[in-house]
Amino acid sequence: MSWKRSAIDCTMSPPDLSALNTRGRWPPPAGPRVAIVGSRRPSPYGEAVAEQLAADLARAGVIVVSGLALGCDAAAHRGALTAGGFTVAVMGTGVDIVYPAAHLHLAEEIVAGGGALVSQFPRGTLPRRQNFPARNVTMAALSDAVVVVEAVQGSGALITAEAALDLHKEVMAVPGSVFSPLSVGTHALIRDGAGLVQNARDVLAALGRIGEVLDDPLATPKGLGFKLPAGRDGILPHLSDVLALNAAEIARKLQLPIAEVLGRLTALELDGAVKRHQGGYVRALRRGKERA
Amino acid sequence: MLATVDSCVLAGLEARRVEVQADSANGETKFFLVGLAATSVKEARERVRSAIKNSGLDFPRKRLTVNLAPAEMRKEGSGLDLPIAIAIALAEVGKRAPARSAFLGELALDGAVRHVDGVLVAARCLKRLGFDRVFVPAVDASEAALIEGLEVIPCENLAGVFAHLLGQAQIAPQPYTEVAVDSTSGALESDLAEVHGQEEARRAIEVAAAGGHHLLLSGPPGSGKTMLARCLPGILPPLELAEAFEVAQVRSLLGDLVPGRPLDWTRPFRAPHHGISMAGLIGGGSGFAMPGEISRANHGVLFLDELAEFQAPVLQALRQPLETGRVTITRSGGSVTYPARFTLVAATNPCPCGWLGDPVRACRCTQAVVDGYQRRLSGPLLDRIDLQVGVRRVPLAELASEPRGEASAPVRDRVIAARTRSLDRQGCLNAQLKPRRLREVALLEPGSRRTLERWSEQKGLTDRGFHRAWRVARTAADLEGAEAIEDRHVLEALGYRLHDVAA
Repeated sequence: MSWKRSAIDCTMSPPDLSALNTRGRWPPPAGPRVAIVGSRRPSPYGEAVAEQLAADLARAGVIVVSGLALGCDAAAHRGALTAGGFTVAVMGTGVDIVYPAAHLHLAEEIVAGGGALVSQFPRGTLPRRQNFPARNVTMAALSDAVVVVEAVQGSGALITAEAALDLHKEVMAVPGSVFSPLSVGTHALIRDGAGLVQNARDVLAALGRIGEVLDDPLATPKGLGFKLPAGRDGILPHLSDVLALNAAEIARKLQLPIAEVLGRLTALELDGAVKRHQGGYVRALRRGKERA
Repeated sequence: MLATVDSCVLAGLEARRVEVQADSANGETKFFLVGLAATSVKEARERVRSAIKNSGLDFPRKRLTVNLAPAEMRKEGSGLDLPIAIAIALAEVGKRAPARSAFLGELALDGAVRHVDGVLVAARCLKRLGFDRVFVPAVDASEAALIEGLEVIPCENLAGVFAHLLGQAQIAPQPYTEVAVDSTSGALESDLAEVHGQEEARRAIEVAAAGGHHLLLSGPPGSGKTMLARCLPGILPPLELAEAFEVAQVRSLLGDLVPGRPLDWTRPFRAPHHGISMAGLIGGGSGFAMPGEISRANHGVLFLDELAEFQAPVLQALRQPLETGRVTITRSGGSVTYPARFTLVAATNPCPCGWLGDPVRACRCTQAVVDGYQRRLSGPLLDRIDLQVGVRRVPLAELASEPRGEASAPVRDRVIAARTRSLDRQGCLNAQLKPRRLREVALLEPGSRRTLERWSEQKGLTDRGFHRAWRVARTAADLEGAEAIEDRHVLEALGYRLHDVAA
């Protein structure tokens, strides 16, 4: 807790938001702002959730704020962009330095899409470890609500959540698998009272944009609108969308020869029903139809 | 008086004839050695003088000139000691050397004939150059006796050889070594039965063995990558005679043969450390290049653990041998070509800390570091590795409950059957099929072709990647005994690649 805690403490007073360096359209158009943050190395599930949530919120007129980092952040920006929404990237570097460099293209797309890059640091500031917690606080300060999608214990996303609490902003979290280390942070938030996010409507309700959503716990959940892979292969039900399974493990579970399992997995991959993740296979989540 | 004795020097796997001429004439007592001798040959003067003296022979007290012809060729090695001494001794007594006989051997100061490297190679070449008889060190006689139709005289010491030449005491020739292929190779170093779980990697090494495909294993430390690689020689068929002979020649050059048992039927397994230099891996040295690890692994397995830790230029140099099965190296002495047809098994961690994707231990690498690490692997070398599989770490507590797999013996039977099919069909292993041959001998069913093309479109497969999957599919079909390549074979083949490493 030590250095992180002190990093938050010393930057606790949010920066002067009028003195931000910006690129693109700033100030943003009027509308509620929601920060979507999460692990830099999410599971396919987390990445899909971040992207879909951002797209759905953007369509509902929400400005999606995130940190331009790898993983969930990038997925959120991309989701907002594909929905034609306005998205703000809060950077831990100067606005003229894109970090990670792999997101150069994404940053340009954000600006070209009518969005904005903002930073509390002077132009030319290079990525420095100690700047990112402060950036996370700024993200919270710029937003009306913070949604955390997948975060391991000690994740930077949790700094944003904590800052949001201190600033009396809404904090929400997306639940995950109880087997996944990526759920530890989000589940801790939910246990401590963060709002549970199953879909964009949950977030909109928390913002007061629509009436409270009370999904019937016994009804089929109105999820984020993913299509689960539709295939008739008997392997599919044995795959998770969070935890990667090895071909060998599947073969053993189903008592099938490994050569056959490898072939069937490849066939499923060809159909877009599964994908590779960390040396194993996971179910691929496909984005569903537009929904609000 | 003048005497001439034949010998040879080695240039890689070839030998060049050297004529040793000794002339003693009146004049100041001196010993000249001319004919572009390298340091090791120049030193022969001192060894030869002592050896002759200590063998009870007379060293001429005259003006002695020894010429090594042809004079423009640089000579290296200590094998010329014996022919020089014989030439001098014969010149002194005014005798001629026996016709069509060559001499090879290093001398000790007491006149004993010592081992020299490359006797097998020399004997083979001398036979081809028209020699009928070779005088070689007794310790190396079994090597030379592998060459049919060549009389091999084992030499213990200079006095004995000289007595033999003067007809005073005959040395019995070494009998020709009858070669019997030993198909019951000895106890396996590593048996697949000892590998728990790891079904995917087991299948991959079976396919690798059956088709001669190169293999990349990726997994965290302690996941058994080395163990799996060590199992590969045990599921390969024993060496054929010609192969064993080629292996023995490289070993002979390096002085690595077991005395008395020159032919070994088990496939070589070489596992050089990742600090290895270019010369060590590919071959090198001054004068003529010596064989490197890739030639020692000829017809066997070259295991490169921690692939990403090898120097990039060293790995890049593997490309030519991987493609052609040979390596040609040029040094000051000239170019030499060594065989280097091996199965490459490479192992790597998925990231610098090793734990990326491990279900229990968290990886501590940043994405940029992981990308950089994997970039080092990708590219032209990886493009030539047909099979790529992930290896999972099995926690110690679960190790015992993991199912034991099949032993090596039945796997080997399947591998031999599949190899026989491919050799009967096309005369080479599937991994060596070039695209044109592939089209001829590995017809794709319409359905399998569609699958391969669909994948290729979706994943942006390179031409090389396309053919790679095609070749592996051919092997999968061969393992099943199927002539036609069906959809499931192509699908299996496409499964052998790592998603995080570039396609």
